[in-house]
Amino acid sequence: MADIFQSKAAFGEHLSQFTLADGAGVMVRERADDALAIVTARRGMAAELAKRVKAMGIVLPSGPRRKAQGSLAFLGIGPGRWLATLDHGANTSQSRDAWTKSLAHDLAGCASVVDQTGGYAVLQISGAKALATLAKGVAIDLHPHAFRAGDVAVTQIAQIGVMLWQLDDQPTYAISVFRSLAGSFWHWLSVGAEEFGIAVAGAAGPDWSSVQRRVVQQQPPKS
Amino acid sequence: MSQPHRLASGGLIERDAPLAFRFDGRSFAAFRGDTLASALLANGVRLVGRSFKYHRPRGFLSAGPEEPNGLVELNSGARRTPNSKATTVELYGGLEATSQNRWPSLRFDIASLNSVLAPLLGAGFYYKTFMWPASFWEKLYEPAIRRAAGLGRVAGAADPDRYEKAFAHCDVLVIGSGPAGLMAALTAGRCGARVILAEEDFRLGGRLLSERHEIDGRPAALWASETAAELASLPDVTILPRTAVFGVYDDRTYGALERVTDHRAEATPSLPRQRLWKIIARHTVLASGATERPVVFGGNDRPGVMLAASIRTYLNRFAAVPGSRFAVYTAGDDGWRTAADLIACRCEVTAVIDPRPQVAQALSDPIASAGIRVMLGAQVVGTRGGHALKIIDVRDERRSTVRIEADALATSNGWDPLIGLTSHLGARPQWSDVIQAFVPGKQLPSGMTVAGAAVGHFTLTQALADGARAGSAAAANAGFPTSSQRVPIADDEPAGLRPFWHVADSRGKAFIDFQHDVTVNDITLANQEGFRSAEHLKRYTTLGMATDQGRTSNVNGLAIMAALSDRSVSDLGSTSARPPYAPVAIAAFAGPQRGRHFRPTRLTPGHGWAQQQGAQFVDAGPWRRAQWFSRPGDADWLATVCREAHTVRNAVGICDVSTLGKIDVQGQDAGSFLDRVYINTLSTLAVGKVRYGVMLREDGFVLDDGTVARFAPDHFVLSTTTANAARVMQHLEFCHQVLWPQLDVQLVSVTEQWAQYAVAGPHSRRVLENLTGPGFDVSNGAFPHMACAELEIGNITARLFRLSFSGELAYEIAVPARYGDAVIRALMQAGEEFGALPYGTEAFGVLRVEKGHIGGQELSGQTTARDLGLARMMSTKKDFIGRVMAQRPALIAADRPTLVGFVPVNAGERLRAGAHLLPLDAAKTAENDQGYLTSVVYSPTLGHWIALGLLQQGPGRLGQRARAYDPVRNGDVEVVIVSPTFVDPEGRRLHG
Repeated sequence: MADIFQSKAAFGEHLSQFTLADGAGVMVRERADDALAIVTARRGMAAELAKRVKAMGIVLPSGPRRKAQGSLAFLGIGPGRWLATLDHGANTSQSRDAWTKSLAHDLAGCASVVDQTGGYAVLQISGAKALATLAKGVAIDLHPHAFRAGDVAVTQIAQIGVMLWQLDDQPTYAISVFRSLAGSFWHWLSVGAEEFGIAVAGAAGPDWSSVQRRVVQQQPPKS
Repeated sequence: MSQPHRLASGGLIERDAPLAFRFDGRSFAAFRGDTLASALLANGVRLVGRSFKYHRPRGFLSAGPEEPNGLVELNSGARRTPNSKATTVELYGGLEATSQNRWPSLRFDIASLNSVLAPLLGAGFYYKTFMWPASFWEKLYEPAIRRAAGLGRVAGAADPDRYEKAFAHCDVLVIGSGPAGLMAALTAGRCGARVILAEEDFRLGGRLLSERHEIDGRPAALWASETAAELASLPDVTILPRTAVFGVYDDRTYGALERVTDHRAEATPSLPRQRLWKIIARHTVLASGATERPVVFGGNDRPGVMLAASIRTYLNRFAAVPGSRFAVYTAGDDGWRTAADLIACRCEVTAVIDPRPQVAQALSDPIASAGIRVMLGAQVVGTRGGHALKIIDVRDERRSTVRIEADALATSNGWDPLIGLTSHLGARPQWSDVIQAFVPGKQLPSGMTVAGAAVGHFTLTQALADGARAGSAAAANAGFPTSSQRVPIADDEPAGLRPFWHVADSRGKAFIDFQHDVTVNDITLANQEGFRSAEHLKRYTTLGMATDQGRTSNVNGLAIMAALSDRSVSDLGSTSARPPYAPVAIAAFAGPQRGRHFRPTRLTPGHGWAQQQGAQFVDAGPWRRAQWFSRPGDADWLATVCREAHTVRNAVGICDVSTLGKIDVQGQDAGSFLDRVYINTLSTLAVGKVRYGVMLREDGFVLDDGTVARFAPDHFVLSTTTANAARVMQHLEFCHQVLWPQLDVQLVSVTEQWAQYAVAGPHSRRVLENLTGPGFDVSNGAFPHMACAELEIGNITARLFRLSFSGELAYEIAVPARYGDAVIRALMQAGEEFGALPYGTEAFGVLRVEKGHIGGQELSGQTTARDLGLARMMSTKKDFIGRVMAQRPALIAADRPTLVGFVPVNAGERLRAGAHLLPLDAAKTAENDQGYLTSVVYSPTLGHWIALGLLQQGPGRLGQRARAYDPVRNGDVEVVIVSPTFVDPEGRRLHG
């Protein structure tokens, strides 16, 4: 048989349940095209790992920070542990499986690389009310005085473990959850953002600004 | 619509926004900006409730959250909200309120006969009367008392509203928006600090809204609104009106409840009714103000007797006149201002009574010159009137009784700082002789400053200066540059006081706690019977235990007890204030996490597909798993499950096993690490092979079982049971980080990364061939039982395992989760020609019991490897976790129940899991218990019920009989003890 299998975005069906409306304080897009891998330093190999990552143009962060070079980024998510991300991996000629393998190859001997491209679902959240919406579930301080572009946090929202990082000063946030929890996470997010209105961008575009935005509002729940 | 008691002008109400509302079925008119209480008073409604115990008629005592009397039910149906303080209910058009705790009507309440029985109903009445016989308590006394007692009625239906939770962080949290709070917020906000200003009221200003003060020569209320506007313009200042800070918790955390839409006529679907805030504040300025104390005298609960400052609130803020003919009874300078304000509003004042023999002429002269009777050294000794005050009896300085006509009496006995929040972390308030009230103790919660009236600084000038100082210090503490800011100039008021705790000569009941009907007599009784400490007094008399938490009564009660027991209030001390300081709906604590969202739900990548197949789902921990897939023609669930199991045994079935835990283990020492955590040896496992493994807890009992696959010399993938996945991960992390940090091991959970499907049955190989195509050889020779491999299928990288839980030829295929949906559909398609069907967890269970594999029921945390027939798996050549403890004598005792199988002697009889195993001829007692059935299924392969169970000496008793006795479900079945492997004990199918 050996078909070409279609991948399915974790939040896809939730985001598609929206209808058009005016005004939106929160903009959401699923980063379904990124490739993700967890990189754990092997014992005694931290310096060598940093050297090899440096060769990729990235100074490996030693704390909860995100360092990026082009579409590649390393996020510190624990002692000796990083989340490596490749933006828009699905749109490159190289398959995302191949990217994980080549990363494992490049870091062989100094880090274990585990593909998590399917394991985590990542939502990108921005808009004037992004911060106010996140405050309904994130216990840590995301005010610009305390949390800036490039900062990373491993925390939880509504009993769901998340990795959260800030991409820019707009601010735009990315939040990853275990894929199986996408539905529960979306319930929390959509209910909390309802008062501000939610705009959902299609998963297709490589760049948020070039994506035709659909300004939408959730249907009132059936009583 | 007329509002007979509304002043023609003034007040902070919006006269161009008229509203209509209903109380006890009658329609009334009012204005936006009113509370329910001010609206009722403006309409001349003064009887608003019945007291808790004696059902006495009651009117409003206050104008704020301290209100003990004016409790009403709001709304109806599922939204009915009992015990709402009308003094804090922000009026909206169409509001419906009803009085409570009365029957049949507010004016005529049958239970008011309790008043006649009052001599019998003193403190401790219930404790003393309903003691004996004890068995009567639950069946008779408690239900009867509950019917008679209680205030409002709960809705009795699920709360239809939405609630929300939110977190906030700030440099300075300011609690209260009176002069001190506004000044603190403004000063800190101007310095650039992140400020949250929380105000319980819907309008900022506190007492500034209620008084005729001037600040910088202009009305104080104007200053308040201008300050509020400036605060709103500052980018890092958040104003939370309608928000009560109800608790102080460790590490500078505060709980607050915001009433988001309670004041709106129409529910806004996108907004919650209430929002629970968790505020983390570097610094807090508590500017909660103070509450006025009433005077305790006979008949002081008659509707019309009110707090003096509350009357000023009704006059000045709401332009509502709560009476026609006023008298003032005050033990301090403060009450005289009520007289002055009443005169300014052209209200009739008949007398001002002050127990002090002398007061400053500046107070008394303007009153006397207005032709009003001033009575110094005098006391109110009684009140008359039915449902409303008509006459007060005053004993003048010559001890002769004077009758004064008044339908409203303003009483004032000093002010109690509102310091409940200062005590939430255990600090005790301390008594101040200067202000005759409790003030915050020295041990304040970390980061907290108390300012203004809350710390006993009662004048406006003091409040503004306190606020400016506290705001500036808080901003400086948070690292913001501060500059000296001008403190506005205020007119000041005299605040002299000599409190008068109890008018001993008065007639009639003298109430202390209005809501719980605690009188001076109750305190006297408590003293006589030895309940003299503050805590005993509270519990014996229920003083301060009502919904108002005794805000107007605690200090009066303590002072009277102190006098009776010949101590100072300071020696007596006070009770402890604990969170919540204001009532919080339970639903607010749940927020959006209610119903099926109570906790997160995990769905597998194939969930949507399973739904389309008509799966019945079952909760498996946080997961939802397909239990079975009913088809038309299935008689019942058992028929469905039998059909699914039969399909696996005879054709091929496909099951979603994605929920099983998967852990990626890498590193040079990965094999050695696994040898230490599993009872068997895994370092010898060849690459491309899978081995079954069992882990023990440190105490020697089985923790979990699963498979270990080796993909490279330094790369293993483990599987765990669904139930224990998180626990095993935690256990392995602990072992690595704490026990053997020197090992080069990296652990990552990959449960979510892989969607995994079991393909089981004689045709499973052909289904796989269809899926993978000719590029991968799944033949017995190339890919034997317990083989594993990574392979490319189309555009994806998959992992294939030859594993069998069912005992059939079987595989498990894992694909990245994002392809899980596509692959399950492709698998079903690939299997269509072989009759492939999906099967759920029930059939999965049937197949494993038929094969004698252990599952969750056997991995109960109380079984050892030996109990489960796995003793020989325990390596003797290496150490592993649990090895030593598993050798404890009780765990290797010969008579420990051990795993065997059971079948009923009469094939038609049903077995039940949990049934106890007894010798055939033994009495059915616990002493004869020899074990129990752990897993029971109906075997479609054998055509009767079968069971796994733990039985003493089980493996040595094969072929013998026992009875499975189930006293809960009346089961008593004779069974034959058999091998736990019911199907294909030789394992031919497995290797087929």
